[in-house]
Amino acid sequence: MRKKTFSVLTAAFGLALAACGSSASSSTASNSSSSLPPAPSQITVGTTYSGSGSFATSSIPELDGLKFWIKYENAKGGVYVGAYKKRIPVKLVAYNDLSSATTAATQYNQLLTQDKVNIFVSDFGSVLTAPAVSLAEAHKVVLFDQSGTGIPFFSPQNKYIVLADLPVSSIWPNVLAKFLISKQIKNLAVLYGTNDFDASQATTLKTILAQNGINISYYQGVPSSTTSFGTLLQTIAQSKPDALLEFGYAANDAPFLQNVQSSGMHFKMVFTVFPGQLLGLFQQQVGTAGLSYTYTYGTNFYVNYPTVSEGLNSSQFATQFAAAFPGELNSLSLDGYNTGLVIQASLKYAKSLSQSDIRAGAAAASGHLNTVDGSFVLNSEGAQTGELLPVAQLFPSGSGVTLKAVYPASQATGSAVYPAPVG
Amino acid sequence: MPKLDEIDRTLETESKGKRLISPAVAALVPVVVFAVGVHIYSNELLLTYMAIYIALAQGINIIYGFTGYLPFGYFGFFGVGAYASGLAMLDYNVPPVLAVVIGGVAAALVGALLLPLFRLRGAYFAIGTLAASEAIYAIVSNPSLQSITNGPYGLNLAAYYSSGTAYGTAIALAAIAILAASYVRSSKFGLTLKAIRDDSYSASMSGVNVPRQRFYAWLIAAAIAGMGGSIFGWSTSVFYPQAVFDSSLSVLAIVFALFGGVGTVWGPTVGTVVLYAIYNAIGVSNPQYFQLIYGLVIVLLVLFAPRGLAGLRQIKSRRATTVGAKND
Amino acid sequence: MLFEYAIIGGILLGIFYALLAVGLNVVYGAQKIINLAHGDIIMLGGYGAWELYYTYHISPILSTIIVIPITVVLGYGLNRLIAPRLLKSADPEMLSLILFFGLSEVIEALASLVFGNAARALPVNSIPTSRLVLFGQGYSATWWVSASVILPLLGIFLVFLNRTSIGLQVRAVISDAVEAAVAGINAKRISGIYFGIGFALAACAGVWGVFIYGGVSPTEGPAITVTAFAIIVFGSLGNTVGTIVAGVIFGIFYQLAQVYIPSWSNLVPYVLVIATMLVRPQGLFGRRQRIA
Repeated sequence: MRKKTFSVLTAAFGLALAACGSSASSSTASNSSSSLPPAPSQITVGTTYSGSGSFATSSIPELDGLKFWIKYENAKGGVYVGAYKKRIPVKLVAYNDLSSATTAATQYNQLLTQDKVNIFVSDFGSVLTAPAVSLAEAHKVVLFDQSGTGIPFFSPQNKYIVLADLPVSSIWPNVLAKFLISKQIKNLAVLYGTNDFDASQATTLKTILAQNGINISYYQGVPSSTTSFGTLLQTIAQSKPDALLEFGYAANDAPFLQNVQSSGMHFKMVFTVFPGQLLGLFQQQVGTAGLSYTYTYGTNFYVNYPTVSEGLNSSQFATQFAAAFPGELNSLSLDGYNTGLVIQASLKYAKSLSQSDIRAGAAAASGHLNTVDGSFVLNSEGAQTGELLPVAQLFPSGSGVTLKAVYPASQATGSAVYPAPVG
Repeated sequence: MPKLDEIDRTLETESKGKRLISPAVAALVPVVVFAVGVHIYSNELLLTYMAIYIALAQGINIIYGFTGYLPFGYFGFFGVGAYASGLAMLDYNVPPVLAVVIGGVAAALVGALLLPLFRLRGAYFAIGTLAASEAIYAIVSNPSLQSITNGPYGLNLAAYYSSGTAYGTAIALAAIAILAASYVRSSKFGLTLKAIRDDSYSASMSGVNVPRQRFYAWLIAAAIAGMGGSIFGWSTSVFYPQAVFDSSLSVLAIVFALFGGVGTVWGPTVGTVVLYAIYNAIGVSNPQYFQLIYGLVIVLLVLFAPRGLAGLRQIKSRRATTVGAKND
Repeated sequence: MLFEYAIIGGILLGIFYALLAVGLNVVYGAQKIINLAHGDIIMLGGYGAWELYYTYHISPILSTIIVIPITVVLGYGLNRLIAPRLLKSADPEMLSLILFFGLSEVIEALASLVFGNAARALPVNSIPTSRLVLFGQGYSATWWVSASVILPLLGIFLVFLNRTSIGLQVRAVISDAVEAAVAGINAKRISGIYFGIGFALAACAGVWGVFIYGGVSPTEGPAITVTAFAIIVFGSLGNTVGTIVAGVIFGIFYQLAQVYIPSWSNLVPYVLVIATMLVRPQGLFGRRQRIA
């Protein structure tokens, strides 16, 4: 009896393990060697995305951007690989991590150990990128970090990370701080979500402003789950700030703007993080009246880049992407596309398909790559520092609101209305 | 026809020698399978997590299966362990395996602190532990504690990363958890509780101090979760608080344990292996349906098989041998 | 100034929290069922309001009433489906907890398949927008409009429970199902209806949740369930008036926390539930005899 039990259980374990491994699709692994191995028949790009859950609204457009890049390059016969001086078709392996960091971790490992992908790309945001960082380092595979801008990821020891699309979150407010200084705003209120992404922005802003002698009269962290701001606004209004800045996730920013509107209070300047990245969604959720004259980070999606060194320019991207993925055109799909362009440039400069050469390729592209997402500059830790986010303001227009970059002057497409008009 | 439960049921009447063999087999089989498995299927992290989940499911088994107290907030111990061991490594340079033990001890201490929750019964206890764990999460991730826990910024243990050792430790933990569960089951305490559950016996008659024994079971369960969290944090190596204080961790552990059948030694192990393998097999294509499927599995389990896979077998074997089926 | 604002704002908001929790208490009602899918029913109510507004241009105030009959029927059907098996088991309270947890997962998965993952919101001007001015301070329209719709609703519910024939039967079944059956009351039917009413109250809260939470999304359920549970534990499980009072007190505590200790404000429900359980397990309005 016991023997039977034993064998049945062993079989169950074996089956279960086999079930895990069934979907493995291997492709040519790349080795570092002096003489170039024969060119692989395809380049595998592996990533995860959030098909549902709290990150889905950002993750899905980002994946679509990457898909668009692959589709576009494959239509030309594949991505150009400098080491072989020819185009090689690209294959995408994308797993749905449901916005769970734990699920993402096992899937990242699946990509590295089973699918043996050539190009390893993480999901949207810092929370889901975190588990990929060490795995990439341990397997010596370059992580193309799309938008995981968290500070703990970047260190001099880690040679296997490239932040492709956004600057690290701690430098996001650099331009914003200069704008506040230029407007001679003396009294500020800052409300931030107590998470890595938002708290690091608040800290940076506070530091820069302190150096310039500007006082933040209200500086307060609130839990990232906060969606009710009425009483907080009342408290803030007591300090009569010249500008009110709220650093949150999209799920905080939208109710915050609604609350500002329904409170009937008037602030000379209101700033939130996400309208610039998900303008369509905010238009739906907050409406024109709630968004008008508020400020946000103007991502490069709203900046026109007529000449680029790699890929499509701004207007080409807008038309062609909208045709391929209707309704998904936003700043995050542009990020996904730009991830593709950074990979493309890295492959162009890489001396072989070994991971260290791909990383060297990214370093070689740094400073020379100009895309629809601005200029690409990597620091020694693999963090993006080229793309600075301009300050933008939302103006009411016929169909809703229009976003215009208002600072710095070099990127401005409109001029700031400060203080915001009443009503 | 293999009869898992028969082993469990006959165990009570078996000689002491056999009592020792059965738990050893229950712990050894997973160890061997995991040790061999990684050479067949090289996604080591997935196997590490699977071993951790076996330990968690056995932890649920120990506390819920044998005492009837269901801790919804079980994930709190997991997070405490991950943080305690991570900080031990970062602040005091403690070697990772020792740090895992520290994580277990820290979780057990928190467990002792939460002891007053045992004043509550049933659903109250379940929700009480959930609230406690959420509160611990809110405290650990609060920016005012940045100097101690690094607040919302999470921990980076990349310098201690060692997937092989972490994997070995996870397997060891799974084995320890299984042994602990079989110990609790065959101890006088476990037998008394079963007797109480079957209504044939009263605790006062048995001479077993139920609250004290329950306290020990609770500490063991907490320590297992703490060590599980420690290994999780170590093998994931860069994590934010929300990744280790994630209520879906308790959810999965509870579902795995229930699916296999709580109150048995094999149930939680088999339940975890089967469901976690399916989870990842679906997850590779589209795990969105997994939430739907496991939700339905829970509903159907409660309605039709409240004692899990093990219970199904029991009913079958009872019918076969025409032993009077007492529904409970 | 701020203190008074937090108190009055807390009361207005607390009336919403009262409705948020009262449905959970009603479902618990006659059969001691713990509805862990409570937050998900609230979520569905929110989507209901959204669909009604955008498809049929129905005001959310009216939607509050429209969702009632639909959810009563839904809840009644579900109750008849599961209650017989559940109540036969050894520990229905515990099993219902697990069962409804599974149901919550199913609802969440289906909602994200049907409605997508992005949060949906209703425009601020879909309800009256003028502020309420009290003692020189203005309160947002969302707060006072929701409070002034919810208050009469809660009033009607209390009248129903205490003055109508069905309400009296409900109370008879809750206090003693066996005796009620002897008196000729169809306990199964009455329990089913009451269960459905619990769902309906949750759905009504969902309509206003869209405004209070600034939107509705498929994953919001579990967090709402925990808050609602904290409130009913605080106000004594099974005690309707206790729940309503506890909801208002919760609103006040939460607003005071936002004024004085904002970064800790999410601790309020957890501290409330733990403190109540440890200090006074029977809740504010409970009698000692109940084993909590």
